[in-house]
Amino acid sequence: MDRRTFLKLAGIGSLSFAAGCSDPEKTIYSLVKAPDDMVTGQAKWYATTCRECPAGCGVLVKNREGRVIKIEGNPLHPINKGKVCIRGQAALQGVYNPGRLKSPILKTENGLQNISFSDAENLLSEKFSIAKISGSGRIKMMTEVVSRPLYQIFDHIMTTYGADAPTVFEPFAYESLKTANEMVFGIDGLFSYKMEQSDFLISFGADFLDTWLSPVEYTIKFKEMHGVRNGKKGRFVHISPSQTLTAANADTWIPCNIDDETIVALGLIREMIVWGKGETLDKSLLGNLQSIADPYTIQKVSEQTGISERLISGISESLVKSRHPLVLGSGNSFNGERSLETCIASNLLNLLLNPDLSQLDFNERYRVETAARRSEIYNFFNEVSEDKTNLLLLNNVNPVFTLPKQSGVQKALKNKSVFVVCFSNFMDETSAKADMVIPVAMPLESWDVYESTSKVITTLQPAMKPLYGDPQIGDLLIRSSFKDVTETEFYKTEVIRSLVKKGSISTELQWLNMVRNGGLYNVPENKASFSKKLSKKIFDVLLLDRKETTIPLSLAIMPSVRFFDGRGANRPWLSEIPDPLTKVVWQAPVLMHPETVKRNNLKHGDMTAIETDNGLVEAIVYETAGIKENVLGISMRRDHTIDGQFIEDKEDSIFSLLSANIENLSGGPISHARVISIKKAKSSEPLAHTDGSRLQHDRKIAMAMPFSQYSNSQDHKKTHGGSGLSMHEFPLTLPIPEGYDAHRDIYPSHEHENYRWAMVVDLDRCVGCAACMGACYAENNIGIAGKRQIINGREMSWVRVERYLDPEDNKKVIFLPMMCQHCDAAPCESVCPVYAPHHSKEGLNNQIYNRCIGTRFCSQNCPYKVRRFNWFGWKWPYPLNLQLNPDVTARSKGVMEKCSFCIQRIKEAHTTAKREKRKIKDGEVIPACAQTCPSDVFTFGNLMDPESRVSKLVSDKRAYQVMGYLNTKPAVIYLKKILNEI
Amino acid sequence: MPDKQYVIGLYKEEDNAVAAIKSLKGSPFDLFEVHSPVPAEKINAELKKSKSKVGYFTLCGGIIGFITGFLLAIFTATRWSLIVSGKPVVGFVPFFIVGFEFTILFGVLGNILGFLVMSRMPARLAGKPYDERCSGEYFGVVATCDYGREEKLSALFTKNGADDIKVEKNKN
Amino acid sequence: MAELTAAQIDNTVLDTLAAPSKTYWGIVGLLGVGVMIGLMCWGYQIVVGIGVGGQNNPVAWGTYLINFVFWVGIAHSGTLISAILYLFRAGWRNPIARAAETMTVFAVCTAGLFPLIHVGRVWVVYYMLPYPNQRTLWPNFQSPLVFDVVAISTYLTVSAMFWYTGMLPDLAIIRDRATGNRKKIFSILCLGWSGRLEQWRHYTRIYLFFAALATPLVISVHSVVSWDFALGVIPGWHSTVFAPYFVAGAIHSGLAMVVTLMIPLRKLFKYEKIITMGVLENVAKTIVFTGLIVGYAYGVEYFLAWYSGNSVEQESFMWRAVGEYKIEFWIMVICNSIVPLLFFIKKIRTSIPWLLIICIMVNIGMWYERFVIIAGSVAHDFIPHAWGYYAPTLTEFGIMLGAFCLFFFLFILFVKHMPSISMTEMKEHLHAGGNDAG
Repeated sequence: MDRRTFLKLAGIGSLSFAAGCSDPEKTIYSLVKAPDDMVTGQAKWYATTCRECPAGCGVLVKNREGRVIKIEGNPLHPINKGKVCIRGQAALQGVYNPGRLKSPILKTENGLQNISFSDAENLLSEKFSIAKISGSGRIKMMTEVVSRPLYQIFDHIMTTYGADAPTVFEPFAYESLKTANEMVFGIDGLFSYKMEQSDFLISFGADFLDTWLSPVEYTIKFKEMHGVRNGKKGRFVHISPSQTLTAANADTWIPCNIDDETIVALGLIREMIVWGKGETLDKSLLGNLQSIADPYTIQKVSEQTGISERLISGISESLVKSRHPLVLGSGNSFNGERSLETCIASNLLNLLLNPDLSQLDFNERYRVETAARRSEIYNFFNEVSEDKTNLLLLNNVNPVFTLPKQSGVQKALKNKSVFVVCFSNFMDETSAKADMVIPVAMPLESWDVYESTSKVITTLQPAMKPLYGDPQIGDLLIRSSFKDVTETEFYKTEVIRSLVKKGSISTELQWLNMVRNGGLYNVPENKASFSKKLSKKIFDVLLLDRKETTIPLSLAIMPSVRFFDGRGANRPWLSEIPDPLTKVVWQAPVLMHPETVKRNNLKHGDMTAIETDNGLVEAIVYETAGIKENVLGISMRRDHTIDGQFIEDKEDSIFSLLSANIENLSGGPISHARVISIKKAKSSEPLAHTDGSRLQHDRKIAMAMPFSQYSNSQDHKKTHGGSGLSMHEFPLTLPIPEGYDAHRDIYPSHEHENYRWAMVVDLDRCVGCAACMGACYAENNIGIAGKRQIINGREMSWVRVERYLDPEDNKKVIFLPMMCQHCDAAPCESVCPVYAPHHSKEGLNNQIYNRCIGTRFCSQNCPYKVRRFNWFGWKWPYPLNLQLNPDVTARSKGVMEKCSFCIQRIKEAHTTAKREKRKIKDGEVIPACAQTCPSDVFTFGNLMDPESRVSKLVSDKRAYQVMGYLNTKPAVIYLKKILNEI
Repeated sequence: MPDKQYVIGLYKEEDNAVAAIKSLKGSPFDLFEVHSPVPAEKINAELKKSKSKVGYFTLCGGIIGFITGFLLAIFTATRWSLIVSGKPVVGFVPFFIVGFEFTILFGVLGNILGFLVMSRMPARLAGKPYDERCSGEYFGVVATCDYGREEKLSALFTKNGADDIKVEKNKN
Repeated sequence: MAELTAAQIDNTVLDTLAAPSKTYWGIVGLLGVGVMIGLMCWGYQIVVGIGVGGQNNPVAWGTYLINFVFWVGIAHSGTLISAILYLFRAGWRNPIARAAETMTVFAVCTAGLFPLIHVGRVWVVYYMLPYPNQRTLWPNFQSPLVFDVVAISTYLTVSAMFWYTGMLPDLAIIRDRATGNRKKIFSILCLGWSGRLEQWRHYTRIYLFFAALATPLVISVHSVVSWDFALGVIPGWHSTVFAPYFVAGAIHSGLAMVVTLMIPLRKLFKYEKIITMGVLENVAKTIVFTGLIVGYAYGVEYFLAWYSGNSVEQESFMWRAVGEYKIEFWIMVICNSIVPLLFFIKKIRTSIPWLLIICIMVNIGMWYERFVIIAGSVAHDFIPHAWGYYAPTLTEFGIMLGAFCLFFFLFILFVKHMPSISMTEMKEHLHAGGNDAG
């Protein structure tokens, strides 16, 4: 454990409620009775759990003066190991969302009416009583994935009232994967993959870096297998219709039509059998498999899918050669008619390749497996529509948005005889239709436990007092309907009791330790039994001949790394930070292959109207080679205003384009629809994107080298430029005296005092997920410019992930995080008339905001274009302003700003070091971007210390500086990406 | 000389004015001043006026300016010794530009000061012998004579081809 | 051509000072309204933020600095005509020197406003001045912008003093012809000039020194302005040819502006005998010369981009000619270096309409030259991911309108109330033996 982590953990010992958070007072009073653990100016850290998606990552939440201001990963947590994704960073903007409801809302004849929490509670009790009197089964409940104790309470209530168990709704319920797991392994659930152990990975659309199962966990695992390890590097092939973030990170991405993954998978099964794999398997099983896969010769697969034979045989060869291959089934993006087959075939491939299945961890199961199948969800609403139900409880779900129109949800909610109660903090598509909306404390304000996986029980504790005094849903339900059943009054007690009952803890000290560490990470395994006896059904499914009607053009509704299923759209950071692949903000364009664009007489940037069997959507055309010709892709979007307010006049959600059809065997939804017509729309809007050119025009910006060159060449100098001084060959010139050379530099080097801060950015590790950007926005109070201003070119991000395409093959992507390079000979500094940017003794390029007069010369002269000007005074509408980091100035209009290497963290380390009379240790200062990065792209440290990690990394033969030919001597040293194609 | 009288002889032609000045030399009258609408080179030559010494002011101004500019830049840069763009704190090349501009500025200020001091401006015109036509097209030769001898002086001017003659009554 | 006499010169010029007509005041009022519009736009920008303009990342400099360089450029030919041509003893400068100097002073004033409009926080713009302060911080004398402050303020001081000194004898002429309040005002303005021998003796000397000092100054000022760009690292800026290129460009635009102003002035004030066709023809010939230099500079830039072997530079210049700003680029090339070549034809350079049209085209072309350099270079610099384009907004156009109105407002106030032609210099020339002003 490093020092910083230790300090944080030492700070989270307190179990008392975080200090209250209220409107800032005009008059300053001293706190007569300050909370026990509050020291003004000192942050408190609370270990809790991120609930922005069902993955359940452990987080440390920073609380300053009673307000949570920053989320960081909990290093002790086995799922995310101290890292958080962009959505986790943005959880704060859920808490401080201006659209967050301040009080319960009751729909009356006179419209919506604010009522008090106690009135809402009484009304809810009343409704429960009525339901009870009316007879059994009058209540129905639908909830998001919740913790086991909370689910138990829901369940108890439902049982008490003679109703069915609550239905767990998640838009991504992995029906086909679950069904395939059941059929092949006898496990109706979702288990984890030991991806880090594999050396060759094939994914048939499983977007494990975007949204699949547990993205942070798999980003970490993926980079463990895909990064250079003992001179070796794993390979990754991704086969899917669209280039998602995961696909963009594959060594080879193979575009295929929707549902053609099955054909490829079957072809690979055939190849593996031909190569003699699976000999340990049951003979009859192998025989059956052989007969099914036999028609899928490489030629046939190639013919049917359009994938070259060379590529397929290359993959199969690599599969055979690799020692620990792993195959992942389909993901959330393209749930089609044959997703189940793809998943079955993937499972079978794993079985063939690794008969001991060492990379599948059946004992570690994901909590999201409790989610009901889509077919059950549709049934649920159909039942509501039948007259029996009086009271419908919806806990933090938004089915009106995420379900197609024909799903019956609208009809169910319109039913006059049903009283619909939404436990939701926002007015969204569903709560707008509810009879009563009760906002409840958000996860960062609540007590709970959550089983991220079956091996982890992670705790939630309030990191601050609920902003508007909202009750916790557990407490609320206990009070309003559960009083007679249990003597407990608080949900927290119920949580502890359930843990004790389960045997997880037995003493209070254990509970305290559990909260302190953020959870229990050594939950005893209950060995899952799985049989290798394959169910006969597999072969029936694989023999089904159900896809022969080719759809000429289909529209797929895809999840995104930023919005997940659309739920993140009201977090301004997530809209403001560009999509990793398209670099589009605030909009969800329709991805279209250049051929398709041409065929439909459209242009990149045109507003187009796309009609499917079920609806019509208008979206801007985004021309990209990252999608198959006859597929259109559009991300699960929601329209929100800049301050997170819900736009009510958008009647139809993006999901209304889909049909309510399901795949019968797995009960999963179909996430694409046939396009009837596509034409230019009357309206128009410019594309809000933050990138200029998609190519780097051979400027030595994001560089890469083939793996063969990396592993063979022993000569350092040769690979990173050598002694040349041209655009094509240039030396690494470190921003320390050794980097200076009288032949090249007019001016002598300058000395630094003890430290020369520098950062190493490993492009081979960067997956482009933009978590760094989210962390930077949160840490450094970066303004939100909004759609219009970004169209005008005024994004404010201090670090941006540049995305460049290979000019030879537009399907190949390289990501490069770009931030202030803190050059030793910084072009920005000398041009400023007032010394606003200048060099610090420790080598930082400091920007003095209150000195800046706004000539913008520094930005003009910055070759890296990383400086950001405050064109306006950016607004943080209440309560977003409560999130601002008090250690960082909120810049006013008319001044320039940029990455400071998180100077506030450096200063903090200085203070600590000075107090302890020592120098700052390596790794003691971690900038926000480096802290959160799931793939450890960034290493920060002191270049003057020869023992520091950065000093060691810069001697890597991949080290180079972006546009090193300019001789600005940047302190950000990049390591080239390593290419390792099939 | 309370009893002196001013007489102005106005000449359209500079040559005539020169002639008048010449003849004044041998007369009992004293040349007081010459006003002209344009620089009068011939008259200057006649009076053997040397070149104006105003250039020393300009030179001094320029030298002071250069030193001021250069020292100002050096002084201010060393107050905080901030490194910018990896350049030395005292950079002679950029500071030379400042020095240069200050040279010109102070040179011109010296030039103006020299002019004002040496030609005694700003001045009041009231009470001095001056004819308004001198700013038009006439060379005005002003000479002094004792009270009552204006006629004689006027005759001298007329002889030299004066276009007009104006006698300034002494207000004393 | 009829021979002029000193009296004729005086009368022609003094006639222009007659009581102005209602139309005149109407125009003054209209220009005043334009100035107010500009001021309101500026006020709006100060309150809301620079974002009301079109500047963005990466093009953080827009019309404000384009106009700044444009007006500084315009300002250049005044000093060229009054100082450099004075040193060269080019007699044809005399009739237009005063108006050109006036143009210089007002153009520098207008130009000087733009850095203030441009900066993000105009309320702390005094941070740029070197004076002892509580913050104990001084400006950075390594910054080209501080060179600018020093150079432009020197230029404004010097050109204003030069202009005023040159006017002293003329002010005395007006004083001598005027009565009443006007006489009193001009008595003070002319500092008691009486045309004494001593005054003339020092005056001619300082005038020569003025010219001698202003000549290197005028070259240095636009060189300094060019270093705002040339000292940057941006492709399209970072070039050693910039200083002479900018000086030539400045004179090019300034001469064109002189002709643009002289032609109506000549017509309205009946200066045909003073500002003869010969004078205008000489200006036109000089425009051909500066146009050739500017055209050569364009060529040199392309040659350097090619010869450098630097693909960033090459790509950037190729993009200039065929990229998003190609229209602006070709306006610049055609108006600045091709159209002025028509002045090789005598018929064209002696035709008033042609002169006016071509000179206005040169003015437009020179504005676009600054656009291409300032906005175009950064729009397409090193990092392709950061490329972005810029277009001015209504607020910027409002401020631009205000600036043009301000210039013409000051100019027409001056020409109507002050001698717009140096009577003294005309007479001096006559006296020295020139029989006509040309």
